[in-house]
Amino acid sequence: MDCPEVISSIKKSLPDFSALAVSQHYPDEIFIKVSPEAFKDTSMVLHKILPSPVMMLFAVDERKLTGVFTLNAVFVNLKQRQWIILNMDIPQENPYFDSLAKSIHSAAIFEREIQEMFGIQPKGNPDLRRMNLHDEVWPQGNFPLRNDFKGMVNGNLSEYKFNRVEGGGIFEVPVGPVHAGIIGPGHFRFSVAGEPIVNLELRLGFAHRGVEKLFEGKTCFDALRLSECICGDSAFAYSVAFATAAEKISGISIPQKAAYLRGIYLELERMYNHVSDIGGIALDVGFSFPAAYASVIKETILQLNEKLTASRYLKNVNVIGGVSGDIDDAKKLILFDALKKIKKDFNALVKMLNSSVSFMDRVDTTGVLIKKTAQDLGVVGLVARASGIPTDLRKYFPGVYSQAKFKMMTQEAGDVLSRLELRFSEFVESCRLIEEFTIKLSGSRDMQVNSVLKQESALGYVEGARGPVLCWLKTDAHGVIARCKLVDPSSHNWQGLSYAVLGNIIPDFPVCNKSFNLSYSGNDL
Amino acid sequence: MNKITLFFLQLIFFIVVAPFLSGLITKIKNSLRMRKGQSIFQPYYNLIKLFSKIQVVSETASWIFRVTPFILISSTLTVALLVPVFIFSNPLYRMGDFIAIIFIFALGRFFLALAALDTGSSFGGMGSSREMFIASLVEPALCLVVFSVFLQFGSTNLSVFSGMHAVSVSSLVGASALFLVVIAETSRVPVDNQETHLELTMVHEAMALEYSGASLALIELAAQVKQMIWFFLIAQIIFPITTLSLVNLKGLFSWGLWYLARILIIVITMAIVEVSVAKMRLFRVADFLGFAFVLGIIASICAILGA
Repeated sequence: MDCPEVISSIKKSLPDFSALAVSQHYPDEIFIKVSPEAFKDTSMVLHKILPSPVMMLFAVDERKLTGVFTLNAVFVNLKQRQWIILNMDIPQENPYFDSLAKSIHSAAIFEREIQEMFGIQPKGNPDLRRMNLHDEVWPQGNFPLRNDFKGMVNGNLSEYKFNRVEGGGIFEVPVGPVHAGIIGPGHFRFSVAGEPIVNLELRLGFAHRGVEKLFEGKTCFDALRLSECICGDSAFAYSVAFATAAEKISGISIPQKAAYLRGIYLELERMYNHVSDIGGIALDVGFSFPAAYASVIKETILQLNEKLTASRYLKNVNVIGGVSGDIDDAKKLILFDALKKIKKDFNALVKMLNSSVSFMDRVDTTGVLIKKTAQDLGVVGLVARASGIPTDLRKYFPGVYSQAKFKMMTQEAGDVLSRLELRFSEFVESCRLIEEFTIKLSGSRDMQVNSVLKQESALGYVEGARGPVLCWLKTDAHGVIARCKLVDPSSHNWQGLSYAVLGNIIPDFPVCNKSFNLSYSGNDL
Repeated sequence: MNKITLFFLQLIFFIVVAPFLSGLITKIKNSLRMRKGQSIFQPYYNLIKLFSKIQVVSETASWIFRVTPFILISSTLTVALLVPVFIFSNPLYRMGDFIAIIFIFALGRFFLALAALDTGSSFGGMGSSREMFIASLVEPALCLVVFSVFLQFGSTNLSVFSGMHAVSVSSLVGASALFLVVIAETSRVPVDNQETHLELTMVHEAMALEYSGASLALIELAAQVKQMIWFFLIAQIIFPITTLSLVNLKGLFSWGLWYLARILIIVITMAIVEVSVAKMRLFRVADFLGFAFVLGIIASICAILGA
């Protein structure tokens, strides 16, 4: 679909639509600039006709250059394999925009973020409590992502207000942010009637490190290493998302071999994450033997990673323009040997879990996220696929995956078992993909690297283990990063968790949580 | 041997050996899971560590919170004196029987549940309500096992029936029921999980969550002693031991070996059960203990029929 087609399909639903500017710098990105009055209606039309949740919604401070903030909403058109970026200007005096949150749920958290980081009011959003800048620490009036932010200004602190469920026999159970296990920080506020959960409110942001601010002022080469540190278990996915954005800006196309190598490492990352989650699910229902077995498989994969790239978590492997860690013939042998062992062990693990009645009783019908709820919330990635929504960037934006005949997996029920079985089948598919990619590895991976020296913006995206990792990058005239907006699949999916647990009993929460396995660090940024 | 010596000997025996059984189960479980695991003596190190630590007591806690560890350990040790270990009479001969054991344990449980509520932490409340839910299912099943024993031996006094060595269908079924109950009583998988770090799934651990230092050590020790008492009771019913003959050394040796082996069999069985099943969903515990209840009925019927 090219630009006129998009415009005409919008016009079908919105007859008096007119864009201020339409452009297409890259084949997979369409940029539409609209007037502030038309922004909300156009977003709702795009949301409906594509159909797509708001994949990203973020502000950019361009006051130095043009005297305005800009607001960008990113939608994905899976069928046409395109991203649509809707843009509008927000004047710097009394900045506000019409909230989308009441019509499109997936926009809600982004609007809260824009409000706290830029001080731009989403008019009409019913929930404007701050998420990452905690009221107990950050006084009102600090907007750290504005360019003129110089450091925190002291002021009055306040307290976060939780939603309350009131009535006879309702108890509140606060859990966290410090947990007993080695996991990230998050506060969970359960309202329970006996054991069943009536409401769950999440409070995150404890791991907020100002990542997006850290990117600003760095060159793309420096920032690549930073991108690997955002979310430790998705280090490679993040670096690919970032590198793709940077490559699009500099006009580099990576050699075919590097594309295959990226595919291999991405799948290795997915495999260790999936098997670790499978073990985690078993452990959270007290099934310790398969949990121990899964940790052995995970360790095998991590050791394989180290042999291939000298990094267990695939850091320092990606570079802008290609991949530094090559797989030569000797390493191919190591890879095939390890895969053979991993597959054998994994089959035994699956068999063990599938044949245990006590285990199946715990995961079957637990923590159901029905398709309708998942769609309304704009849930993405693995969680969405387990609820029957066919969405996988590897299928719709395939790249090298088309050569390996990638098969997208989905499940229907949306319970813990579906998410578990989806991980089973994706793990097996990842094994197959790695073999296919490795066989096809040939040629040189020499890359051309131009330094990025132009003012441009681009969207990088990749399907990580949890779902789509998105990175929108904007550079200034010196090639230095002016704004980098990252969206982890977790930020879409945390809401899904709080709906999936409703009606389940409190002791089943940990296994529901583990089956989502969402990231704290990726969400809090 | 006079009564007083026996009295102290038995107390010391339980206090010293009980942590070892816990350590042994953990060690076996870890070996089954292909892990090196902690030392068998880790429970002792933990107790020593806890006894030397400062206690932190919540400001809102009342006297119940402070007094509970002592009630728990003293009630458990009282039960320990009712179990015949060395000879076929317990040190408090004729003072208590199987039914007394159930109620003395209930006293400790009652206070622990109260203490958990006392601090006002939400986890403690959850632990208490779950513990009471489980206890209400444990006790009927236990009572039926006691009935089957009574019907078989004509007495519920442990000193009386442990001298009678006869393995019958009734005692086998009764011991199986007792084994299921003990899983619940010692907070093991599939009813509870001692190893978990997940506060939301805990039962017994949730009640002890607010305790620290020496109080926690006493609660842990009480749980270990309680576990050892149950193991001895199961052993007494399912593997009744023959009269000790002091005629020759060889006889004494084989007697001692069998004495230890039957405890070991129970320990190993417990460890295997724990690694081979997943923990049950909380409300499924009713089915599980219902099964123990039915086994108790069958044991009683068998006893009536003389099987």
